[in-house]
Parts: sequence; structure tokens; C-alpha cells
Amino acid sequence: MNVIRNSMEGIRASEELKKNTLRYLEKHQNRPGGSGAHVRIKYVFAAICVLFLLGTGGYSAYIRPVSYVSIDVNPSIELGINQFGRVVKTSAYQETGQEVLAHVSLNHLMYLEAIGQLLENNAFRRYIKEDSLLMITVISDNQDRMMEEIEADEILQRYGVMAYTSDTTCMEEAHAHEMSFGKYRACLELLQYDESVTLEDCHGMTMREIRNRTEGCMGGKEETSLEGTGTGTTGTGGLHHEGHHGH
Amino acid sequence: MKSTEDISRVMDTYGDMVRRICFVHLKSRHDTEDVFQNVYMKYLLSEEAFESSEHEKAWFIRVTVNACTDWLRYFSRRKWVPLDLIQEESAVLDGTSREVLEVVLKLPEKYRNVIYLFYYEGYSAVEIARILGRKENTVYTWLARAKDILRERLGGEWA
Repeated sequence: MNVIRNSMEGIRASEELKKNTLRYLEKHQNRPGGSGAHVRIKYVFAAICVLFLLGTGGYSAYIRPVSYVSIDVNPSIELGINQFGRVVKTSAYQETGQEVLAHVSLNHLMYLEAIGQLLENNAFRRYIKEDSLLMITVISDNQDRMMEEIEADEILQRYGVMAYTSDTTCMEEAHAHEMSFGKYRACLELLQYDESVTLEDCHGMTMREIRNRTEGCMGGKEETSLEGTGTGTTGTGGLHHEGHHGH
Repeated sequence: MKSTEDISRVMDTYGDMVRRICFVHLKSRHDTEDVFQNVYMKYLLSEEAFESSEHEKAWFIRVTVNACTDWLRYFSRRKWVPLDLIQEESAVLDGTSREVLEVVLKLPEKYRNVIYLFYYEGYSAVEIARILGRKENTVYTWLARAKDILRERLGGEWA
């Protein structure tokens, strides 16, 4: 028996823990309405909170996005996040993305929880293949904190996400091209190296295809920062630190 | 919803394992109790039809790992120092076990999972990859890195 197994052999569920758990489950089983009642209580609580916010004039602050996150694989989903870190707006720029949003409700969730739920949702998961690339791009006054949270998130680590930052100018340009700002950032990076590609071409490409083509074009070239190109984008390298996105 | 008999059976079968997985992730007895109860609540409400006992066991492992991860994410944020919980368990730990556990529990979370599943539960890297929903190569890498850290901190003959 190895020492690790030995060291953990004594860690067991105590009879007290088991008894408490059984008692807890029993209460749930015997409660009228079971989990349904639990869910209803949550909705009542949420409704009270909303009424409170309405009454104090805080509702407009609640629904105003102050940060944005773009989640891109192909499809692309954008989240608008309020000052409390909750999702208050969702949007997609392709039919596939809109279809995903029809199957998953992300509003009012904390943004990391919303991303986690999106990634675990079957409607989105079917677009994530073995070699897919998941990119997350953040626009926020608190982008450093958000990037840290994204990098520390276990679920996102599990998906090997690459994280970047952008800005609102870039977002406006992206939307004018009917594209998420995350995908737009990646396309601008590709266009920098490959003049034969157009934004129109990028529309149908997955993030993996854009990334592979960018890396292919870069080859042994001296790496160039996007800063100063007028795009306003800045890659941070995120979870995959690949030098050329550094500040 | 599962029957009371069913709950008692899985409590006896997997209770110790769920407790150990909580132990390698969580920082206090209270957190452990809450996550332990959440895991069994999920089972109670689960509609999952298990094909075999192995399938059922893998479900408990995956749900417990995810429950611990979610708990840390939403309620803790900080990476904890495991000494408090080890002290709580000190009655059942000898000096060597205590030293080994302290080193294991200071590993990054992803390494703790694979070390526990590999050395305690005896799963292969392929099985761990399937249970955790990760690529085999990722698990191989994590195992190798975790072993390097353990070797460095515990000496050559730790396994």
C-alpha cells in the first residue's frame, strides 16, 4: 500500500456526518412540494429583491451593463455584465449563437457561473469539438480583476480557454461588422499577418481556424503587437501565455 | 426521487470516498458537511440510470469534485492552507501520514484530484480522464507534475 493511500485511509465519513445528511435528506423528502417549493422560495426572494431595487431607483443601475464578455468558439455569445457582476444582457451574431441562447437562460447569474452554465449546456457543447479553441475576451474598467478570476476558474481551465481584453471602440467596430468583439479581435490579428483574408472570410471560420491560420502566417516572423494599429485591442495571453499577446 | 433504502446504500458504499474527496478540496468541517449533503441531495434528485456500480461510483466522484470546485468558487475564492482540517483529523493520523497529507493538500487543486484518484482509488490515467472529462494527455501531464512535486518535497521513496 502506498503512503498516499495510507495517509488517507483514516479519513472517513463519521457516523454523525452520515446521520446529519440522512436527516437533511429526509426533511427534503418529507417537505410538501419537495424541490419545487425550494425553487419557488428562490423566485419569491428574487422578486422581493427586484421590487426593492425598483422602489429605491436602483433598477436602472442593475440593468446597465458596465462590462462585457465575448465567448467565442463559433458560435459567439456576448454577455453584458452589471456593476454587481451579474449578466443583464446576452447577444449573438449568428443563427447558431441565437439558437444556443434560446436554450439557456443566463440573465441574472454571476458572470462566471453564466459562462460555466453556457459551456455545460448541450446546445453549446455540441459546437465544442476535440480540437476546438475557446476564446474569452473582456471589456471592463476592472479587466485585471476579471482576467484574474477567469484565469483562476477551474471550469474555464478545464476547457483550456484563451483570455484576452479589448475595448468599447473595438466592440462598436465589431458590431458594425455583425461580429462579436472577441472574434473581431482575433480576425484583426489574422488580418495583420495575412492581407489576403477579409473580415467577410472570417465570418464563417471557427476560432481554431483563425488561430491556426494566424500562427501559420506568423511562422518565424518577428512578433508585432496590435497596439498602435488603431484597433484598440490588447491581448493578455490569458490562460495560454503565448508571448505575442503580451502587453 | 430515490428511495430511503437507496440513499442508505450509497451512503454506506460511497460515504467515505465522498468525504475524502471533500477533504482534499475543502478547508473546514462545515464546508465538508455542506458539500457532502449537497452531493447526496443531487443523488436524491437525480434521474440518472446507472449501468453498473462502476458507473455509479464515477458519477459520485465527478459530482463531488464539481461540487467542491463550485463551493470554492462561490463561497471561498481563496486557496486555503490545509492545516486546520488536518488538525481536526489528527486523531487518526500518524506523523508520516500527516506529513504526506500536508504536502498533498498543498498541491494545486487539479493535481490533488488526480493524485487521489490514481493512488487512493487506483484508477488509471485513462479512467481518470473519462471521469473528470479531461484529455488523457492532460491527466498524464498533471500526474507527472504532481509526482515531481511530491518527490521533491517528500523524497524519492514516497509512493
